[in-house]
Order: sequence, then C-alpha cells, then structure tokens
Amino acid sequence: MPKKQSISSLVNSLKEKKISVHELFDQFHKVAKENANNSYNLVLDPDYQKSNLEISQERYSNGKNLPLDGIPLGIKDLFCTKCITTTASSKILSNFIPQYESFVTQQLLNDGAIFIGKNNCDEFAMGSSNETSHFGPVVNPWKNKNSPTEKLVPGGSSGGSAAAVAEGSCVASMGTDTGGSIRQPASLCGLVGLKPTFGSCSRWGIVAFASSLDQAGPITNSVEDAAYILNSISKHDFNDSTSSNHPRDDYLKEIDKKLDHKIKIGIPSDYLKNVTPEIIAQIENTKKSLAGYDIEFVDVTFETTDYALSTYYIIAPAEASSNLARYDGIRYGVREEGGNLDDIYLNSRTSGFGDEVTRRILIGTYVLSAGYYDAYYRQAQKVRRLIKDDFQRVFQEVDFILTPTTPNEAFKIGEKLDPIAMYMNDVFTVPTSLAGLPGISLPSGLSANGLPLGVQLIGNYFQEKKLLQLSHLIEKELSFNE
Amino acid sequence: MSNNWEMVIGLEVHAQLKTSSKLFSSSPNLFGSEPNENVNFIDAGMPGMLPVLNWTCIEKAIKTGFALNFTINKHSVFERKNYFYPDLPQGYQISQFEFPILSEGYLEIDQPDGNTKKIRIERAHLEQDAGKSIHDIDPKFSFIDLNRVGTPLLEIVSYPDLSSAEDVVNYMSSLRQTLMYIDVCDGNMQEGSLRADVNLSIRKPGGELGTRCEIKNLNSFKFIRQAIEFEFQRQIEVIESGGSVEQNTMLFDTSTGETRPMRSKEFSHDYRYFPDPDLLPVNLTDEQINQIKPSMEELPHQKIARYVSDYKIDKDISKIIIAEKENTILFEKMVNESDVNPKNIASWLVGDIFAFVKEKNLDVLNLLEYTKDITDLLKLISDDVISNKVGKEILPQVLEGKGKPNELVKKM
Amino acid sequence: MSEIDIKRISYLAKLKLPSEKEEFYSQSLVDIIQWVDNLKKIDTSNVKPLHNVTEATVSIRNDDIEKNNSTEDVLNNAPERAQNFFKVPKVVE
Repeated sequence: MPKKQSISSLVNSLKEKKISVHELFDQFHKVAKENANNSYNLVLDPDYQKSNLEISQERYSNGKNLPLDGIPLGIKDLFCTKCITTTASSKILSNFIPQYESFVTQQLLNDGAIFIGKNNCDEFAMGSSNETSHFGPVVNPWKNKNSPTEKLVPGGSSGGSAAAVAEGSCVASMGTDTGGSIRQPASLCGLVGLKPTFGSCSRWGIVAFASSLDQAGPITNSVEDAAYILNSISKHDFNDSTSSNHPRDDYLKEIDKKLDHKIKIGIPSDYLKNVTPEIIAQIENTKKSLAGYDIEFVDVTFETTDYALSTYYIIAPAEASSNLARYDGIRYGVREEGGNLDDIYLNSRTSGFGDEVTRRILIGTYVLSAGYYDAYYRQAQKVRRLIKDDFQRVFQEVDFILTPTTPNEAFKIGEKLDPIAMYMNDVFTVPTSLAGLPGISLPSGLSANGLPLGVQLIGNYFQEKKLLQLSHLIEKELSFNE
Repeated sequence: MSNNWEMVIGLEVHAQLKTSSKLFSSSPNLFGSEPNENVNFIDAGMPGMLPVLNWTCIEKAIKTGFALNFTINKHSVFERKNYFYPDLPQGYQISQFEFPILSEGYLEIDQPDGNTKKIRIERAHLEQDAGKSIHDIDPKFSFIDLNRVGTPLLEIVSYPDLSSAEDVVNYMSSLRQTLMYIDVCDGNMQEGSLRADVNLSIRKPGGELGTRCEIKNLNSFKFIRQAIEFEFQRQIEVIESGGSVEQNTMLFDTSTGETRPMRSKEFSHDYRYFPDPDLLPVNLTDEQINQIKPSMEELPHQKIARYVSDYKIDKDISKIIIAEKENTILFEKMVNESDVNPKNIASWLVGDIFAFVKEKNLDVLNLLEYTKDITDLLKLISDDVISNKVGKEILPQVLEGKGKPNELVKKM
Repeated sequence: MSEIDIKRISYLAKLKLPSEKEEFYSQSLVDIIQWVDNLKKIDTSNVKPLHNVTEATVSIRNDDIEKNNSTEDVLNNAPERAQNFFKVPKVVE
C-alpha cells in the first residue's frame, strides 16, 4: 500500500512551500488517471481544475489558506457536482450533468478542497461489494497473500471511495452510508470510515437511496483526517428538512485529549454469536490495546439484532422504490425510445436500472402495496422504533459500543451471487443506521490472508467528538497503520 | 323517467393557495408565465432535491379550518402518493393521507325554500399540484410545462351530502366565496385556482346506493352543472337498460357536454402512500394555531349578520353586497368615511352603482378613489340639496371622476 | 405468505421485466420476503411506527420567492424538448 499522507502534514508541506498545490494534485492525479482498480467513474484533469488550483495556491502564498486548501479529495459519484457528470453508477443517469452542487461537496469546496474525480460505487448505492455499478466492479487494492492474483471486492457501496484512498489516488473520499456503505468498505480496505449521526450532514444534492437512512461521511487514512472532513461537512442545512440544528463541535480540537474520566464500552455478545475466531480476535485486540487506560468493557445484549436486517430490507427498498420513480427518461437521464409514452417509461426504466436496483424497487413496491403495507412496511417502522429504543437502553449503561464492522474479510469479485448472502455483509452496520447513530470503522488487524479487518465503534447521538477522541486513541494503540 | 331516481354527490375541491411561493420550494406560485419559467431543481424532480415546507400554506389551512368549522389537527403528516405521469416529476405527489391537517368541518348552504342545509366536510389536506401536459400544439406529441408543479393545494373533501346540481353549485360557490374572503384562494376558476372532482351515484329514495363514478377536474359552475346532469342521466340509462354502473373515473368533454370513462388501466391504481421520509411531521402548538385567529377576516355570513343588525340593511341586499369581497371593501369604506346612513349607501350600491359597473364592465375596486365623492353626493340628496332624480343623473359623472358632486350640481 | 404477483408489482413500478427474467425476480422476491417474514413474530401492537429517527417537527420556511436557476438550467438535461417544453409522445387520457 502507498505511503499515507495525512491532511495535516500535507497542509503543512503546502504552507512551508515544500510542495505546490499543483504538484500535490498531479501526484494524486497520476494514480487516479490510471484507474487501475476502476475506482473512478470520472477523473478531473489538472486543466479542468486549473483555476481552483491557482486560487488555492494563491491563498497559501498569502498565508490565508483554508482548512482543506489544496487537498485532493475523491467524491462518491452519488454527490451532485455542478457541471460535472453525476451518474450514481447507473446507466439511467450516465449522461446527467447537474446544474447544482450538493451541500456537502459545496462545504468541501468552500474549505479549499480540490476534487480529483467521481468515485465508482454500487448503482444508486445499492450493494455491499461495488459489483452492481453500471461501470463495472471496483477492485480492492489489497490482495490475498495466499492467492495474490485474485481480484477482491472493496466492499460497498462506497467501494470506489475506499479503493481510491487505499490505492493513494486521493487523500480522502466522501462516501455515503445507508446501511454500512462507508464503514464496510473502509473495513475491507484497511481505512477509517465514519458515518455521522443522521441529520449531521445535509442530504441536499445527494442522489437519494433511502432518505431516512442516507448519511454522508468520509473515508480516510486516519481518524484525524476524518475529523478534518467532518469539521467541514457537518452543518445545519435549512434546505434539508431532516438536517439537525444540534450544535456542532470542533472535532479536531482536543482529538488527542487524554481520557479524563472512566469510559465504559459495551460489547454486544449477540453480535459475536456466529462469527469466526478471526473476527472475535479483532475485538480482543482492541480490548487489549486499551488495557492501560481507565476503560471498562462490559457485555451488553441487544434484543433486536436478529430483526435489524429484515427491518432494513423493508424500509430501505420501500423508500428507494419511491425515490427512484423520478428516473423516467422524461426530463433528464437516458431515454429509451418507444412507440408511446408508456413504452418510454417502461423501456427507459427497465434498461436503465441494473438487476440489484430492479430487485430492490420490486421489493419496495411490494411491501408498500395494498394488502402488504401493514404486515411489512408499518411493522418494519414499528420494529425500527424498538431497535432505536434498544440502543438507548444500552446507552444508559455504556458510553460506546464496540462491534466488528463486517463478518468477513474482502471476498472475491463474483463470489457472492445470492442476494441474501450479500445482505448479510451489513449485519453489524445496519442496526446503527436504523437507529441513526454515529458509527466509525477502524482498522484493527489483518486476517490470516493478510487482508484488513475492522472494528466498529458506535456512539450516542451527536457524540462524534468523543467518538473521534476514543477512535484516535484506539488507532494509536493498535498502531496498525505502521 | 328520472323522477324516481335521486343523486348522491360528494365533492372534492382543489383550491390553489394564494401564496408567493410553492408548497415545498421557493419558486414563484404564478399563473400565466412562460413555459417552465417558475421551475427550480426541486420542482423538476432533479436527483437529490429536497422539499422544505412553506409556513404560509399551514397558516392558510388553519384559517380555512376556522372558517369551515374544522377540527385543526395538531399533528399532521405529509405522505407520498406514488404514480407515474409526465407532469409529476418526482414520480409521487406529496400529500396528506392518514393524518390530514383538517378534519370534520361543515359549510351551510342556502336552499330554495329559504332554509339552510349543512354540508359536512370529511377532511381537508395540503398537497402539491401537478404540472400541465399540453396536447393541442402537435398532433403526435405532448408538451410538458412544469410551472404549476408544487403549487400548494388544499383538497377539501365533502361527505356525500349533496343531492342536486343546484346543491353542488351552491356549495361550491359558498366555498369559493369563503376561501376568497379569508384570502386563502383567489377563486379564479378559469385559471384553475379552484377545481372540483364530483363523485356521483344514484339511488331510489330510501334505496341502496349505487356504484359511484368520479368526474375529474371541473373548473366552472356551468361545466359542473352539465357534467352532473349528463352523468346522472347516463347512470339511470345504464341501470334501467339492465346494466350496472362500473366504478370509473370519468372525464368531462367540454365541447360535447358529455362524460366518458378515462382510458381503462390494466391494473387498478395502488398509490402506495407512505410518510415522506424527506419531511418530518407537522406538529402545531395551541399557541401557533390561536395566533392565527385574530388575523381571521370576517366571513360572508358574519358580514350579513352585521349588516343586518348594525346597519339595518335587508338580508337580501346584504347578500348581494357580500357576493363579492370587493363589494364589501367598497361598501365598508363608504360607511366608515361618511355619516351617510349605511342603508342608503347599500341601496345606491346595489342599484345604480352596480348597474354602472356592469354597463362599463368595471372592476368595483376602481371606484375606491371616488368613495368620498359618492358619499358627498348621497349627502346632498339626503340633505335635500338636490333631488333623487338629479342625483341619479350626476352619479355616472362622479363614478367616472369627472368632478366633485357640488361642482357638477352647479354646472347643471 | 401468498404468492407474489410479479406482473402487478412490476406494473406499479413501471418496469417491463423480460419474460426470461420474470421467474428470476419472482423467486428472488419470494426468498427475500420469506427472509424478512421473521418480523411478524414480534408483538408490536403497542408500538408507534418510527418514520424518522429525528422526531422533531418539520422545519419550515417563510413564503419568500428565490430564483437560483434559469429555465435553461432545468431543461438542458432533457432527452427531448421543444422550445422551453419537455417533449413526450402524445399522452392519451
């Protein structure tokens, strides 16, 4: 893996003129352009970014640099970027050029970041392996040391973002997480992936998958980098009615602050029921690494874990079936001709969506349809409340919850054909998403095959600051990055 | 033949709310603009766009709640009604379903016998209007204009308490008048600000109710009357010739005056309503609701009662005045500005002044600048300075602003 | 669980499944619906549905007009247009 350069060290190098903004961009652009792992749907070249690079350099020259000035970032191709093709990795949007900039990417631009390109992802973010993209699968830069020619998945749906950071083609990448789409690929690519509290980062301008679950967040090399990005993107947005006006912290400040009181971390025994020893070892490693601190680990048990995936696979497809109704070939996107209007609808949608998206639209339509709404959709919404309450009960006893991020290491492209087997990848990340809680995946060790594995740390609502502080500590103690 | 059949009608009225901007976007809510001029990315259903609720729409709904004796629900929820149509960019309409903002109201309408009849209203809810498909520009293509997309609508759903075309017209015009008085809707039916869907079924007196048909989108009293008469006869004929009425959505053809079923669908509709995850519930406090009360305009029936009791004006004349809100503005200005007997003002208003307005095809509000002159003239008459006859001769000149009454008198 | 009417579901979703794929999706749907059926075991008779984890009241804006885009901005991605209209084959009502 390429040498990791942190945002703070890069900003310092730029400030001290050890490197110019152009040189830095070129360095990452060179890797991105090769697109060796298919982690980009679109790479922006230095010419396109010329004026942004110049303005950024000027700010450094004037000593007035912004927090992310000149930092090359990847952007999941789910964020609408003004005048830059935004496809959601779907055929139906393959020619779509938004005339607007998503709230989150606008914040990054406002802070001086420079975009390297649009990262490949699962089609409309529906997938856990980045194999559903219309533009082909993304390859995990990590190789199984016992079978180095095998192409492995990077996880999904923000697989392109994770692969891009891991291959060194951008410093960090913006992802989105609906049921684990930031945390799971971060784990499979040995990176840090943060899904903030629902309502922290505006959904305005992000192609919607499941509105009550979607949340933007960074995939980064380090916890500190995640704090850099979160500082930029976590803001109240009046144009997103579900955006929270809860006060935001400065997540960078005091990130390495020493624990000033005893912390209690819950480990849900029910999460560890059917996992491999290798996965359990991740939890044990993490525990061991913190042995020198005033941290107590306690067993906790959730009552709803077995129902989380079912709940998720009703609610998310239901919302998606409605969110994706706007893709019809009438106002934008790819139109497939037909003899009459109805044929245009049918042909555009049928040929515009891939198998997994079609499957989820069908599930969602079914669970909302007359006669099934109460049994499936309404029941799922009720169970969602039980899941949320279950977390609040546990958070009365503990400050954080520690779980594995994924039940397995990165698997081979094409290996998991059964959708339900694929959905099981998100078993540890989905409950957090349903409850809207912040969760972060941290690299915790390597598997016997030399592949990265991660642990997930879950905090209570808007506890990102403490979550990042603890994560920073764990990262340091595990010192897996070295 | 139709003597022994009666009709049972319920009405769904869509009233466009008089606001500056749309229900969930800040595009202008304007009629008659250039195609797609009032369309932003939200209205066009672009990827990632999100709705933000316009408070004025809630305020107008609450006002309607007070005016039509509704229960104003403190908790209401916007849901998505899912269906595909080219003038529905999101692929769903944001509406209220399980939890509407208003429930159980009523409106009293006049009956020919002088009594009033109470028409119960089941609910009223806020929703987005759709765009427009224009079919008559090209024989092979339809053209889509999204200007109307997202215009706030209040859908007011009555119980089937109406039993004649006359009832329906009375109900609709009384509803229109009320909504105009409280500044909720401009009442312009030609521009589609107020449209009705008529649900009609027939039965023998005391007999079982037949299957109902819904006639969509009627935007004039004339069409409402025609459509009801035609549909009533059609249903009778179907049943009397041994058939049965199929539950159907009908279109009214304004050129033939006939109703016909919309192209039948392969499968029945299933709108798959569910709470819009982009919006949170509307939770109103008593304070928010009650704050609106003092700003409530006087309602038509309240004005009639006041004119009768305070000004001793005949009920019939009061009714003529309140027929249009503009009349009351003119009338009340004259009453407030002068010490002429209001009864006297009223009789001149509904008599010579209205005749003049009608003859010249004027807007009543144009006369606002001459109210002082008008009442001065009436004073000259009541003080016996001039005769009634002379007054009538001078009035048109006063109304055209040709001079002050005493100058005009001198010139005679 | 009753049989899933894949034709009706795809009709509602405006999808025209190729006949050779109908069986594939149908089976897939049956499997997934069976898989999520475990939710029926939970007694939720006293539980209120949770629409959104943020159980606050909806945010509200003032009735102000804002224009941040041109007509061209909303039309320039259109597959087919005629002047400033979106263009589609004739809609038959």
